[in-house]
Amino acid sequence: MENMMHEHDVMLRMRQIKKRFGPLEVLKGIDLEVCRGEVLAIIGPSGSGKSTTLRCLNRLETIDSGSIEIEGQFLVKSENGAAVYAAPAESRRLVGCMGMVFQQFNLFPHMTVLENLMEAPIQVKKMTPAEIQPVAEDLLKKVGLYEKRHAYPSRLSGGQQQRVAIARALAMKPDIMLFDEPTSALDPELTGEVLKTMRELAAEHMTMVVVTHEMAFAREAANRVIFMADGNIVEQGDPQTFFRAPKESRTQAFLKNML
Amino acid sequence: MEKLMETVVAILGGSKVTLELFLITLIMALPLGLLVSLARVSGLKLLSRLMELYIWIMRGTPLMLQLLFVYFALPMIGIRLSDITAALLAFTLNYAAYFAEIFRAGIQSIERGQYEAAKTLGMTYTQTMRRIIIPQMIRRVLPPISNETINLVKDTSLIYILAMNDLLRVARTIVQRDFDMTPFFVAAVFYLAMTFVLTWIFKRLEAHYGKYDA
Repeated sequence: MENMMHEHDVMLRMRQIKKRFGPLEVLKGIDLEVCRGEVLAIIGPSGSGKSTTLRCLNRLETIDSGSIEIEGQFLVKSENGAAVYAAPAESRRLVGCMGMVFQQFNLFPHMTVLENLMEAPIQVKKMTPAEIQPVAEDLLKKVGLYEKRHAYPSRLSGGQQQRVAIARALAMKPDIMLFDEPTSALDPELTGEVLKTMRELAAEHMTMVVVTHEMAFAREAANRVIFMADGNIVEQGDPQTFFRAPKESRTQAFLKNML
Repeated sequence: MEKLMETVVAILGGSKVTLELFLITLIMALPLGLLVSLARVSGLKLLSRLMELYIWIMRGTPLMLQLLFVYFALPMIGIRLSDITAALLAFTLNYAAYFAEIFRAGIQSIERGQYEAAKTLGMTYTQTMRRIIIPQMIRRVLPPISNETINLVKDTSLIYILAMNDLLRVARTIVQRDFDMTPFFVAAVFYLAMTFVLTWIFKRLEAHYGKYDA
């Protein structure tokens, strides 16, 4: 792996992220860095804060305190202990560097597969349909769904929908891809095709942050694994060491249950 | 037979007023209702509250009272409107309130994931509403909008109190003149024909918007 850890290659940096939902503190001070080309897997029991961490990165959730840098620019910074967000346009631009894939796919049901891919580049980047259509078609070929380009999402299987969702995110040419339990809503026999697409992305050195329950994916495709529990990062390391010899007892207990 | 033809022709004349009121109300109240619903869900507190008040007044008082108010009370403060304009004003304000509530329910029924997907793709709130939320909402609200539209056809008969010669008033005039009930049946056939056409149109619309359903 050409995993150079130079300062300018830090794509994402979270510092002391704290977040509460009412009385419940879901993130208790998360520190996290992701470098260019790195595939980071975040695992942990449900309610550990792993999805919330991901959703704070692209502002689907707002944080209470701490700071987030995206490619060296502040999405939110800490001023006198309070979190201060960048102006809306700047914040939208920074969040736009990241593509997101959801557990529930969230395709636009009233648009065909191709229209799903073309919508944001046309609306947001003001590209013409003629410019974006070949790009979108290439992406659909890449995820193996070119033949379905004129179908509506409801006609596709869950696995196909999720591959379209990945292609839709890629159509915006993101620098970073975020995956929020991308296979959790799928039947077991459909997870393979989605994981294969994700492995191919990883092989192209896409920077990826993947919240997942798929231990095999974390072990084989990730460069680094983070284990979260109760709003904290309990342990992290390279997958070989992490899965073979976890240090913390909570990690050991969790992995024992998963395997 | 000749008399029946005469009745039909007279009622046909009356239905022009009915249709005019119906169509113009619909054309104005649908977009107005959409704007009101967008204001309601906008998150702008004051605007939202104001719309809530407007909807409460329009739904909380009889349309008949609103008609009388526009027709008789507005001239007292110097606003003089023609009969048809007064009727259109009252009907549009009233129906926009009902449509607004239907649209609002439709907008709120769209899953949060749709907003999140649009947001992570970099779309603004306006783009999200216009391209993602409203098109899906329209599909979902067609049945209740269809209902309300059919109500509107029948509610147009309320303008008889403004002494306007709509379909029903023409029929009643003939009944009272000739002591013959036939005009009422003719009127019923006219209303049924109009609602039949509307039902057909909405069925086609539902089929059109339903093409993306499983």
